[in-house]
Amino acid sequence: MIQNHIKISLRNLWKNKLLSTLNLLGLSIGIGSVLTLAFSVYAYYNADSNIEGQENIFYLKTVTTGGDTYKSTPYPLLNEIVKASPEVIAATHMQGWGQPWLKYGETEFQESSNYVDPDFFKIFSLPFKYGNPETALEKKYSIVLFHKISQKIFGEKNPLGETIKLNDSINLTVTGVIGDLSPYSAFRLGVLMPTKLLEDYPTFIARADWSDSFTVNFFKLKPTTDIARFESQVTALAKKNYSDPSTLSEIKLMPFSGMRSDSLPVIDTIISGSIAASVFVLLIVLINLLNLNTSTMYRRTKDIAVRKILGGNKKSIIIQFCIENGILVFASISISALLFLGFLLPKLNGIYGADFGSISFTVTNDYPVILFAIGLGLFVTLVVGILPTLRFISAPISTGIKGRIDTIKSNFLVRNSFIVLQFTIAILFICVAIILNSQIGYMKNAPLGFNKENVIVGNIDLEYKNKETATLKFNDLLNKLNADPYVKDFAVSDAIPSNYDFNYNQVYDPETDREVRTRFANTDEGYLKTLRIPLVMGRDFDEKLDSADDHPVIINRTTMKALGWNSIEGKRLKGKGSVTSGNPVVGVMEDFHYQDMQNAVEPLVHFYSNKNSLASNRFLSVRFAEGHQKSIEKLIANGFSNIDSRRKYRQENLTDKVSAQYRLIEGMLKTVNVVALLTIFISCLGMFGLISFMAKRRVKEIGIRKVLGAGVLKLIVMLSKDYIILVGIAALIAFPIAWYIMDAWLRDFAYRISLQWWMFVLSGFFALLITAFTVGIQAVKSARANPVKSLKTE
Amino acid sequence: MITITDLEKYYATEEVRTIALNKLSFKVNEGEFVAIMGPSGCGKSTLLNILGLLDDPDGGSFVFNGIEVAGFNERKRADLRKHNIGFVFQSFNLIDELTVLENVELPLIYTGVKPAERKARVDAVLEKMQIMHRRKHFPQQLSGGQQQRVAVARAVVNNPKLILADEPTGNLDSSNGNEVMDLLTELNEAGTTIIMVTHSEHDAKYSHRIIRMLDGQKVTENVLSEYVSSK
Repeated sequence: MIQNHIKISLRNLWKNKLLSTLNLLGLSIGIGSVLTLAFSVYAYYNADSNIEGQENIFYLKTVTTGGDTYKSTPYPLLNEIVKASPEVIAATHMQGWGQPWLKYGETEFQESSNYVDPDFFKIFSLPFKYGNPETALEKKYSIVLFHKISQKIFGEKNPLGETIKLNDSINLTVTGVIGDLSPYSAFRLGVLMPTKLLEDYPTFIARADWSDSFTVNFFKLKPTTDIARFESQVTALAKKNYSDPSTLSEIKLMPFSGMRSDSLPVIDTIISGSIAASVFVLLIVLINLLNLNTSTMYRRTKDIAVRKILGGNKKSIIIQFCIENGILVFASISISALLFLGFLLPKLNGIYGADFGSISFTVTNDYPVILFAIGLGLFVTLVVGILPTLRFISAPISTGIKGRIDTIKSNFLVRNSFIVLQFTIAILFICVAIILNSQIGYMKNAPLGFNKENVIVGNIDLEYKNKETATLKFNDLLNKLNADPYVKDFAVSDAIPSNYDFNYNQVYDPETDREVRTRFANTDEGYLKTLRIPLVMGRDFDEKLDSADDHPVIINRTTMKALGWNSIEGKRLKGKGSVTSGNPVVGVMEDFHYQDMQNAVEPLVHFYSNKNSLASNRFLSVRFAEGHQKSIEKLIANGFSNIDSRRKYRQENLTDKVSAQYRLIEGMLKTVNVVALLTIFISCLGMFGLISFMAKRRVKEIGIRKVLGAGVLKLIVMLSKDYIILVGIAALIAFPIAWYIMDAWLRDFAYRISLQWWMFVLSGFFALLITAFTVGIQAVKSARANPVKSLKTE
Repeated sequence: MITITDLEKYYATEEVRTIALNKLSFKVNEGEFVAIMGPSGCGKSTLLNILGLLDDPDGGSFVFNGIEVAGFNERKRADLRKHNIGFVFQSFNLIDELTVLENVELPLIYTGVKPAERKARVDAVLEKMQIMHRRKHFPQQLSGGQQQRVAVARAVVNNPKLILADEPTGNLDSSNGNEVMDLLTELNEAGTTIIMVTHSEHDAKYSHRIIRMLDGQKVTENVLSEYVSSK
């Protein structure tokens, strides 16, 4: 019986080649993208699944009176909490400290290093390959590696007991190797070392008091803990001990499971966008199949009636249709799996890999995705196999045998609603793509307040092996730059637009006591010139007038406004708690976008630093004469090749650095673009199939109309009109939804485009154009057919 | 075998109610070959649909093999139908996606006959209809006469007690038509009851008895010899 069903299904699919191909194409592409999106969502939610009892794991978040929040607290807080709270099962600090160099034999390496307490593994059950998590960090001189690091140094051998040298001085014993975490994990870890090690560092001891927040704290609490009470307890403890309790509003307990989206809120947008996109694509694919299947049903009413007369029951007929659709669906799933592994997943990694790391698919780990695909296939098969069949199977045999379907009426409404729904989704995505595109274009092309063209930025924070010789050679290079006719300006600084540290400080005007929270950066006298940042008031730094010891500053316009100044004549700025007389303000620079356009320009203070002080500076920026980039790049690179350093010198264009700020959002745009094209493409595939069926059913009508004198154009209009109207309705539904969503999304941007009517009209027009084209091809074909022939066929 | 009494059937649209069968009564005995004639729209096909248990009457009684079947639900009708009745249509109604062999085999599959027996019975009936050599062809590859032979083969493969034929020669030329009528006669001679709707006086002559209908009612009923003599 089943064999028979399969045989007939294959013949049926073969017979309707056009329809089968359209279905196969739409399904494969649709399911392929659903798989890709679903896999990334799965990878995201599954990334930390090996960490048990996550619901009881929390980290602390500081909320200042100024409304700022950050994940760190002063170092001593954790121990106070542990002492005071019996609810704590385990607790650990986690912090980086400098960028330590590790050495094994002659191999030197620098990896993301974190210092944690022995309790770390009691809180986070990470998959140990070698070693015992309970004791791994108990001894002070131990180190735990993640597998990829261990592999790099030791290959596949078990490195337990091996010695690694930390910063050329301390011997650490490898006590554990942990299997690699998913790139989507909340942690980006390379090596873990005990916090106890830090207690030997005078710089650490100096900072590890109640005035400096730099450590992240994790807790595992008893499930019965009253979180609100615990939070207020912690806040009270902190306020009691803080050097300046007035700056602290509260300390909050945040669930570990929300840590990723807390650090990068755009992840939530990407994940929920991916889920929405998968659901929508799936919906469109389903609607296509339903509509196309329903259309074929008209042709098959007679077939169904004959089967019923010969003794076939409803069940066997439904099974027949399910098998037919099942073959199509599972063939598509196989194709989409190839598409997913060979094309879409690499593409996805290309888009988000730089920010989140590349994910890969392995059958043993990711079998739930395979189960999902099979489940999805069964679901689609049953829905599209059963739903359209039900309506037809109940029709009386006596009418069915004549191929008449006058008992089925309401179908048009259902099908038209389906088409409207499909195109609403498609137009929605097109709208989103157009608006996203405009916003990114706006951010990338908006005046930044500085000139990013023709500037090379070199990274000069290279850990020089001999600081004196390095400084000498660096000065040599600066002299060469000075002498080069093609170097227009150059500057040395510890910040560069797109790369300003989150170095916030409270400063105040000693005359008025007015306080401003600003960001600090160190620059030399060449910085404003090199970047072409205009001065509003006062003067630029001057090598002859200023010395780094005076700490003169240049502020931006926003700082001046915030301080309520009209002039900087005799003005000084003082840091909170500073005992000096403050810093002389020598100039005011125009506001420039030193961070991306999503963020507003905040108050900024530049301190004067000497050009030749390699130690405190991180960037060398050089403005070159157009057309001479290569030679200047070579000049600088050569200069650094003579200087012994642990890190390699790298340089890039400032334009690229500025653009890179939008990499993630551009990645989102790429995804949206693909989904938008996909939805419209699949919708049109469905419509194309539907129209060819409709046209076939109307062959006689078209023939009669032609005999009665209807022109080809009139017939084309007649055949296309309804669909164009449906797409128009879809556009009208999609516009307000798109407006609502994108208006809300744009609010996250300090500098944003305003939504324009043409964005919506353009997307509607685009959808209409594609529809008209799709419908048109078929309509022209039908309208031009010879009426004599068509009347005969009927 | 069949007794219908005061059988009624209406077709209603929003505005008009059309009477298709108007208190029709007659009897068909086992082994008989009955022709039903009448102009288009007189209710022949409606009658055949009800006799074939494809449709339900709106009134009256229909006794099939001693059982009152008017008011049977679809499932019961289907069950009775697949074991007792074979159909032959004017437009053949073969399933295009199935070969000759598969078309003929289909009723046996639906009645749950085992594969080995299925094969034997299909082969036998194809032999008998002289289309064995065409068993692997699809319907579109056959002539009209051959297609109708396949349809007859499909109708009889389950050894039904009753064959209902709706204009079985309507789409055929005269020589193919005669062949099909000969086939039906043979089946009838072998014991199968046949009820045939036809427009053709020629075909009607193959039957034992002719029932003439008009506007849903029986007008005359002649046994073949009377019919011939009255001419």
